[in-house]
Amino acid sequence: MARKMLVDGELSQTNADEAHYHFDLFVIGAGSGGVRAARFSANYGAKVGICELPFHPISSEVIGGVGGTCVIRGCVPKKILVYGAAFGGEIEDARNYGWEVNENLDFNWKKLLHKKTDEIIRLNGIYKRLLSSAGVKLFEGEGKIVGPNEVEVTQLDGTKLSYSAKHILIATGSRAHRLPIPGQELAITSDEALSLEDLPKRAVVLGGGYIAVEFASIWRGLGATVDLFFRKELPLRGFDDEMRAVVARNLEGRGINLHPRTNLTELIKTDNGIKVVTDHGEELIADVVLFATGRVPNSKRLNLEAVGVELDKTGAVKVDEYSCTNIPSIWAVGDVTNRMNLTPVALMEGTCFAKTVFGGESSKPDYSNIPCAVFSIPPLSVVGLSEEQAIEQANGDVLVFTSTFNPMKNTISGRQEKTVMKLVIDAETDKVLGASMCGPDAPEIMQGIAVGLKCGATKAQFDSTVGIHPSAAEEFVTMRSVSRRITAGGKPKTNL
Amino acid sequence: MRQLPPPQINSTNRCLMGGPHPPAQGSQTSISYIYTKARDGDRKRTNMATTSFTAPKLSSPTLQTLYRNLPVSVPLPKTRSSFSRHLSPSISRFHHHHLHRHRLFSVRAESENGAEPPRHYDFDLFTIGAGSGGVRASRFAANFGASVAVCELPFSTISSETTGGVGGTCVLRGCVPKKLMVYASKYSHEFDESNGFGWKYDAEPKHDWSTLMANKNAELQRLTGIYKNILNNAGVILIEGRGKIVDPHTVDVDGKLYTARHILISVGGRPFIPEITGSEYAIDSDAALDLPSKPEKVAIVGGGYIALEFAGIFNGLTSEVHIFIRQKKVLRGFDEEIRDFVGEQMSLRGIEFHTEESPQAIVKSADGSLSLKTNKGTVEGFSHIMFATGRRPNTKNLGLESVGVKMNKNGAIEVDEYSRTTVPSIWAVGDVTDRINLTPVALMEGGALAKTLFQNEPTKPDYRAVPSAVFSQPPIGQVGLTEEQAIKEYGDIDVYTANFRPLKATLSGLPDRVFMKLVVCAETNKVLGLHMCGEDSAEIVQGFAVAVKAGLTKADFDATVGVHPTSAEEFVTMRTPTRKIRQKPDSEGKTGLEAKAAAGV
Repeated sequence: MARKMLVDGELSQTNADEAHYHFDLFVIGAGSGGVRAARFSANYGAKVGICELPFHPISSEVIGGVGGTCVIRGCVPKKILVYGAAFGGEIEDARNYGWEVNENLDFNWKKLLHKKTDEIIRLNGIYKRLLSSAGVKLFEGEGKIVGPNEVEVTQLDGTKLSYSAKHILIATGSRAHRLPIPGQELAITSDEALSLEDLPKRAVVLGGGYIAVEFASIWRGLGATVDLFFRKELPLRGFDDEMRAVVARNLEGRGINLHPRTNLTELIKTDNGIKVVTDHGEELIADVVLFATGRVPNSKRLNLEAVGVELDKTGAVKVDEYSCTNIPSIWAVGDVTNRMNLTPVALMEGTCFAKTVFGGESSKPDYSNIPCAVFSIPPLSVVGLSEEQAIEQANGDVLVFTSTFNPMKNTISGRQEKTVMKLVIDAETDKVLGASMCGPDAPEIMQGIAVGLKCGATKAQFDSTVGIHPSAAEEFVTMRSVSRRITAGGKPKTNL
Repeated sequence: MRQLPPPQINSTNRCLMGGPHPPAQGSQTSISYIYTKARDGDRKRTNMATTSFTAPKLSSPTLQTLYRNLPVSVPLPKTRSSFSRHLSPSISRFHHHHLHRHRLFSVRAESENGAEPPRHYDFDLFTIGAGSGGVRASRFAANFGASVAVCELPFSTISSETTGGVGGTCVLRGCVPKKLMVYASKYSHEFDESNGFGWKYDAEPKHDWSTLMANKNAELQRLTGIYKNILNNAGVILIEGRGKIVDPHTVDVDGKLYTARHILISVGGRPFIPEITGSEYAIDSDAALDLPSKPEKVAIVGGGYIALEFAGIFNGLTSEVHIFIRQKKVLRGFDEEIRDFVGEQMSLRGIEFHTEESPQAIVKSADGSLSLKTNKGTVEGFSHIMFATGRRPNTKNLGLESVGVKMNKNGAIEVDEYSRTTVPSIWAVGDVTDRINLTPVALMEGGALAKTLFQNEPTKPDYRAVPSAVFSQPPIGQVGLTEEQAIKEYGDIDVYTANFRPLKATLSGLPDRVFMKLVVCAETNKVLGLHMCGEDSAEIVQGFAVAVKAGLTKADFDATVGVHPTSAEEFVTMRTPTRKIRQKPDSEGKTGLEAKAAAGV
């Protein structure tokens, strides 16, 4: 009912404009943010077109695919490989539970890869159907902006289509970035890493971000020797320092060789593999070198300069709180804006965009207390502030509750790996400012905790919740003893 | 001044005195805080401070925090002299601290709580039963300054009138060994899953039962030792033996009398097997957790959570499993859709359900195998028949009738909101009261009782939105109201459901699915209930339980961004109600359902 009235309202107001636009909205890029914005806009009654590059697991200037990074080259295939790799540890753990498993385990990488590709093809199809059932018109080809209300789509055969649209949404995402060092062409990015022909025996990963630690975990779990190089003392800059140390310890515990404060300076092709040279003068030979050294927004080939859409110095499209660029008819959501590069955030931005523009309800994405996960093995998940951020932002004292324990499963498996959980509290208001966990199931556990944080839950409310026994998660509601109190104005303990 | 309490040279102390291990560091700290507290006299602040660094917590994950190398104290055989009423000259410094401490704090406790005429008791609190509730209440009471003793039966994996063990059902015959067995049994499913992810095994992995039992029992020994240390470190006197109430202030433990200002009954419950022909051949959950060899073909009678958990365990450890339930569906009291879903999923994993079949007799045949005769026929060839047909409170031979502690018809002790029985000085917590029989609830009751009695802070346990899990395979997690309860209580509700194939199953090719449900009040938008069946349910529901307990709304759920890709994110991305249940806008204002609900009140 409400929806219909809005549509009617819009029709009557904009009757004159409607006449000379092909679409109410044209979206460039059918990834998470673009598809969400397109579908929801269509549901509000808008006439929507969307264009996307042809499908392939490895992206380029001219290759993409409906579903975008998340479905084709990110979250989904990554998680599939993490599942596959986690069995390595599981099988080891099974032995002390009485399972007799052959020492000679066979892992068939090609089978996993093949099934992964099947799955992303299936999801690609589902996304296409989602669009068509929402009434969104999909064009395959490269989109460019020609004017504030004009897009041009270059199709596969080279023919060009021109469409006018009342609103244009840029949702072209981002791509992996390579470090410009000699021999960089020998390295791969995460795109290729998700589609390697053969499983590497010796893998080198460069980078300290979540992509780097995830791939290090995947390859290690599948049996490769893995060397992880990063610039800082600890991986995962921006996360809680204590949790970073936990992740580092766990990666090492699982057999990954960590090389902190180390850069790669050169890659050289040899008969034996790729020779990797570090700035400490070390050399090692690898079958695969992965650069997980950041991602850059896909804004270059959109012809943005022609219409004057402003970019920041990293190439990200600049937008206001409603995701509008400096050109009032052009909007942008998702990684191309480089705000918080997560699928659910792009979904939120896409939803808010549709509400604002076609739903008659101005709606800003809310970036507070967004939970996220690093699917290392074991995983890390956080929501809200790190201890360091809390100390910086809180007016009064900050209370830190931590719990380090041996998960029950490990008591028999014998695995030496502690789970660590942490709550950061504003001492004055009792509000939970941040929660983190590194250990099995952390991402699944953190989702519910995130609802509490989003709504300003207090430590007392956590405490009043009865535990689910025996679980790891119950530790979040049974933390009675404060580990430390940081008084107002206290300096962060370290800055690693 | 009151007299010194009678010295208790209990097995734990002896162990610590004579054993190869020095007292754990915690016990030293614990003693030092006692003096601190006595000195500055600021009760509340010191209590908080001490709790923060001395008291190890009780919940199982916390046990997990206590590392494996903690000394395990094995109970020494009880001797008559160890319960001597006379202070033995050989008492160690360690023990002396205990005594010293009791004097200090019992006096304090009396002066603060003592509205009654002065009377000298051996203890401020005497607890019968050192399971979850009893240990929690005792330990917290001691932390609040009370002198506390607790008695418990000797350790055994099988409980009886004469055996039990520190840690109680949860640690020895419930949550912990059950979960360890669940871990063990889940691997067979994981091996199947791993095939879909490219892993191949030369030979099908085989399971060695004795390895599992040995490792499980070693872990239980370790945990019962940790529990004893926890009591010790808190300054609680542990007495091994069977406690019986003699009068409102006196407990008899194997012939020795102890007086106490307050008595706490926390003796828990035990499995119950109905009397049918041949029921002596049946096993209960205690025995099922400690079988000497793998049951080849097992019948499980019962449809409750224990039945489902064991069905999953035995099925995963490659036994042939049959479940016999009286009703059409398993898990009475759970959300109807969850009941249907878990039954389907378990059937898909190879468990055979015999519905609406009541057991009538067990017959042992010449070859030693067992047959189960039901109202519908006879199924033969079982190596084991397990009854998971409920649990009963352990209230027999406790002397309750003689002192006037009232019990209900199931033998559960009747208590008020503060866990007080019909005798003012006698209290009861945990399964023996048959309120909500869960470890964390017993902990809550025990904690609340300690506050009520020894911190001048009358505290009622809060039974709203208590989450719980069933560690079936797949597991269930839930908090709040079922759809059926919500309709009764609120009338108009919106129900959101999701039933999907998780990412893992799309690759493994197994028929695993996940079911999730939110029950939302149509008027207030509050989330009244949350239910899930599928991998990781128990872990997932805990965080949401905080939100449900805090009374958060569906809009609050929606405002939360998902963690991608997880199963849990589905709970914050349910946009469209599956159904809206509305009472007819009747002219009378009352519909059939509402009237029924009202009649029920």
